[in-house]
Amino acid sequence: MSDKDTIILGVIGADCHSVGNKILELFFTSEGFKVVNLGVMVSQQEFVDTAIETNAKAILVSSLYGHGEIDCQGLRELCIEKGVDPIILYAGGNLVVGKTPFSVVEEKFKKMGFDRVFPPDVDLKQVANLLRKDIQEKFGQARQKEEERSL
Amino acid sequence: MKKVVSIDIGSTWTKGGLFVLDDSRLSLVKKAAYPTTQNNLVQGFTRVLAKLLDKDDQASWPQLAGEAEVYFSSSAKGGLGIAAIGLVPDLTLNLARLAAMSAGGKVISSFAFSLTRKDLTELERLQPDIILFSGGTDGGNTKYLLENAHRLKDSKLICPIIYAGNRSVAEDVADIMQNKEVIVTENLMPEIGQVNIEPAREKIREVFLKRIIHGRGLSEIVDLFGSQPRPTPLAVLELIAAIPGFNPEWSDLVAIDVGGATTDLYSNTESYLETDTVVLKGLREPRVKRTVEGDLGMRVSACYLKETGRAYIEERLQEMGIEINQMENFLSKISMDSGYLPTTETEMRLEQILAETCIYYAFLRHAGSWKEVYTPQGKVYVQTGKDLRRIRSIVGSGGFLSAGFSAEVINHPLDKLRHYGNEYKLLPEKAILYRDKDYLFPLLGNLVEKYPAEATALALASVEIINEEVERHA
Repeated sequence: MSDKDTIILGVIGADCHSVGNKILELFFTSEGFKVVNLGVMVSQQEFVDTAIETNAKAILVSSLYGHGEIDCQGLRELCIEKGVDPIILYAGGNLVVGKTPFSVVEEKFKKMGFDRVFPPDVDLKQVANLLRKDIQEKFGQARQKEEERSL
Repeated sequence: MKKVVSIDIGSTWTKGGLFVLDDSRLSLVKKAAYPTTQNNLVQGFTRVLAKLLDKDDQASWPQLAGEAEVYFSSSAKGGLGIAAIGLVPDLTLNLARLAAMSAGGKVISSFAFSLTRKDLTELERLQPDIILFSGGTDGGNTKYLLENAHRLKDSKLICPIIYAGNRSVAEDVADIMQNKEVIVTENLMPEIGQVNIEPAREKIREVFLKRIIHGRGLSEIVDLFGSQPRPTPLAVLELIAAIPGFNPEWSDLVAIDVGGATTDLYSNTESYLETDTVVLKGLREPRVKRTVEGDLGMRVSACYLKETGRAYIEERLQEMGIEINQMENFLSKISMDSGYLPTTETEMRLEQILAETCIYYAFLRHAGSWKEVYTPQGKVYVQTGKDLRRIRSIVGSGGFLSAGFSAEVINHPLDKLRHYGNEYKLLPEKAILYRDKDYLFPLLGNLVEKYPAEATALALASVEIINEEVERHA
């Protein structure tokens, strides 16, 4: 057990691309996060159940096979239903099929309740920095209060 | 040469066996039984012991002690009633149930997420022997756990509460429930997917010894013979767990006991083999696993079996050309007289249908399954639960199966179950069937801790083969 922030990784839907998923696990662990990696073919239910048990701060959803839009729809709503809604949601990969400009894809996923959306060629270092910043912004205050109380 | 006695105090019968240990070989000398004396278990126990040792019925304890080493088990008023509390149904609650059953208990009810007022009323009504309270990974969820701890504190429950949840709040949980007996142990699921049920099982066993057996005379037996009882199902589980280590050709086995009140299924096999085309979802279940089903039984629980198993029973009656009302009559006969044994050919077939139904549903709940999923990368199987395909041996034990059965009793329900809805059930594909003909498994289970090699060897020497290996295909 540690004070590290817990984040959940997984490739959503009927997607079996496992190589990138393993790289992400190694990378985010080395960046100081406590990573819970659900691997490939992860359902929305699995992401959210895991978030409840682990009290995770963020879910990072990967999708590489083009069906990301359908698979990700309703994930934010499920988080709200299950009471983990302050959780940070990121999505990344080849999220849709075809040559849709990334800005369109990004807008679509943001509408679905994702906090940030990344193209396949994103610099992971940048993602980690943004994640730290988002966690601080969303959970920082609550954490500070908790620390004050325990003093 | 050493005399060793093993006695099992069941809910209706106290059964015992006298064994001799000669040159590290264990053999059965004789068996004895006497109706369990519910108010004072010692009476029945002494009778059985006297019979085994060829002593007078009225023999006093000092005369009996010292003649043989004595080991015993007790089913504790028909089962150790455990209420399981977890957080997410598929994760910690599922594990809490598994831990309770693998400790020899019976899950009398289970609760996920927050306990409601209704849940608490239900708990107070049920009066469990133990509450197994879990939830959260270490460092994970605390909200539900603290909330539930407060609710339990305010309840009228008096049973011990074993806490096996998120370690970060273990102390807080114990502090909140100061008015209860709280036993803190390691988390059942310290990390997502990591199964750690041993510590909780050990605590359940300790509570069983301290609380459940106390006051019904068993402590006298403990004092006199210096051995402590275990819950009967745990004895069988320990035997099943020990067999492969001493008998490698029995590396993957199942034992099934279809009783009057419950059906118990024990398995010892690797639950998941990783391959490129099979993805495991949910928990990786332990190698040694027990499930017990309170609604599957051939006498006391026959009324529930009728409901649970309606579909299977009706289909089977039709196949055998037996009228439904004949089954109805038979069921009312056996529910009025739980000691009733079939007298006609038809009744024997009805009895067989009931046993098959118990076996069908016991495997349905114990075994995992595969679902075919087509992905852009090809066909993939998603596995949930435990894979029993590699089981090589199935041993039928207990009342009905020990008495003798045809291969059909196990093979028919397994074949029917193989394709269940759109799932492929991971059932034994190539298993040899045996029966524990002298019903020695529970008795030998008591001896496993002290004499593992000898007890497992005798267990395997005393089973009788039912059929030759039959290749079964999906």
